[in-house]
Amino acid sequence: MERRIALAVCFGFGIVMFLQYFSSLPEARRLQQAVAEYWQIVFAFALVVGIAGFVQANVKASKDSKERPYRIVSVVGFAAMPILALVWGLKAGSPFMWVFENIQVPMQSTVFALLAFFVASASYRGFRARSASATLLLVAAAIMLLSRSAVSEWLSSWLPDLADWIRNYPSMSARRAILVGIGLGSLTTSLRVILGVERTWLGGSR
Amino acid sequence: MKNFQSRHLVFLGLFVLIAVVMLIGGGSEVKVSPQTQKMYDFLDSLPRGSVVMVSFDHEASSLPEIRPIAEALLRHAYSRDQKLVGVALMAEGTLIGYRLMESTAREYDKNYGEDFVFLGFKPQYVAAILSMAESIEATFPEDYFGTPVGQLPLMEGVDNYQDVAAVMSIADGSFTTHWIEYGRIRHNLTVIAGVTAAMVTTYDPYLASGQLETMIGGLRGAAEYEQLIGVPGGGGRGMPAQTASHIYVLLMIVAGNVAWWMSRRKRDA
Repeated sequence: MERRIALAVCFGFGIVMFLQYFSSLPEARRLQQAVAEYWQIVFAFALVVGIAGFVQANVKASKDSKERPYRIVSVVGFAAMPILALVWGLKAGSPFMWVFENIQVPMQSTVFALLAFFVASASYRGFRARSASATLLLVAAAIMLLSRSAVSEWLSSWLPDLADWIRNYPSMSARRAILVGIGLGSLTTSLRVILGVERTWLGGSR
Repeated sequence: MKNFQSRHLVFLGLFVLIAVVMLIGGGSEVKVSPQTQKMYDFLDSLPRGSVVMVSFDHEASSLPEIRPIAEALLRHAYSRDQKLVGVALMAEGTLIGYRLMESTAREYDKNYGEDFVFLGFKPQYVAAILSMAESIEATFPEDYFGTPVGQLPLMEGVDNYQDVAAVMSIADGSFTTHWIEYGRIRHNLTVIAGVTAAMVTTYDPYLASGQLETMIGGLRGAAEYEQLIGVPGGGGRGMPAQTASHIYVLLMIVAGNVAWWMSRRKRDA
């Protein structure tokens, strides 16, 4: 019964929201506005579920002594930020902003910057001209890399133009093919969900 | 030291190279690309007093690349006396966005509430974009500081996208796509973007179709824009390090291939 109600709600909303997209009636716009507001309310509840899941997973994993220090840092950080925000606010110079600017931003930037080291290492160990297509890929990558540097014009006046050509023709045609594929895939999946053919989102094995 | 491998040498080489280049400092001149010029011309052509919505759709991790892009675009917009309405579709963009808008506004003696406002973060980006098409005030009843939006002088007469000249999405991911799909396609909102270099090819098809009006990408895009507005910034300062690291990666590719080719010859012999 529960599954049938969920399927009926999914079907009803799926069809109505699909139809309202093509309607210019004021009622359709009001419906869209109302659904958008409910969407945000539902998101707030989903956040509560996410928070509970995060705490539960970390507490469970902290039983492993090797994992414990990391899990403690996760939970302390997770608890500290809302406390700082609630007590001292979010204004410039507040403890929350200090932690955000001096801990979170540098840490995230550092992790992101590590990518450069992995790219450099991978370029040495994995980027081989084993075949004609691999060589083509390698040459295209070299042109793109140089075109995004300050020496591209100095090396050759046509290097930026060549890089633009790669972006505008081979790269874009491949990207468009992917986008069309994603679009068709999304359409098919949406129809399957709306019509109740695809039911994995309901959970369980039935 | 016994676990020291070739990849560690590659890491060390890159670290030393970037550290040396950054310690030497300086900036570098770059040729302005037609795409960056188009962005400059677009912002320059907007009448003074036009309302431009700036959406900070990025995380803190991309700040070293995003900050120069955002600062260059904001400086140009302020210098043209455009009215900026800041929003964030990602929670982390909220704090960063306000600081960027406020710090650049100070350079041009712009006042909060009259020349720029910051409405803060709204969860569920699709719902937020669709909702603002109907009413910005209903979506953001209060600004970032809790002031009712109706009390902000800048927001007088700014009800929805029809009162906004363009939305400028500062993004490190796919959020600009949502502005295009729900803002541009459904409500004819003009979308412009400043994105990280890794995202440039993602948006090329939208740029070619005209659904994305114009875009600048990466540190190089920021450096080009800084040259156009005549205000040096992080883009130009970062270009030598980016150039050095790109050349280093290229050298690593060449070295790796030479080593692989030699080992194959040795094996075949």
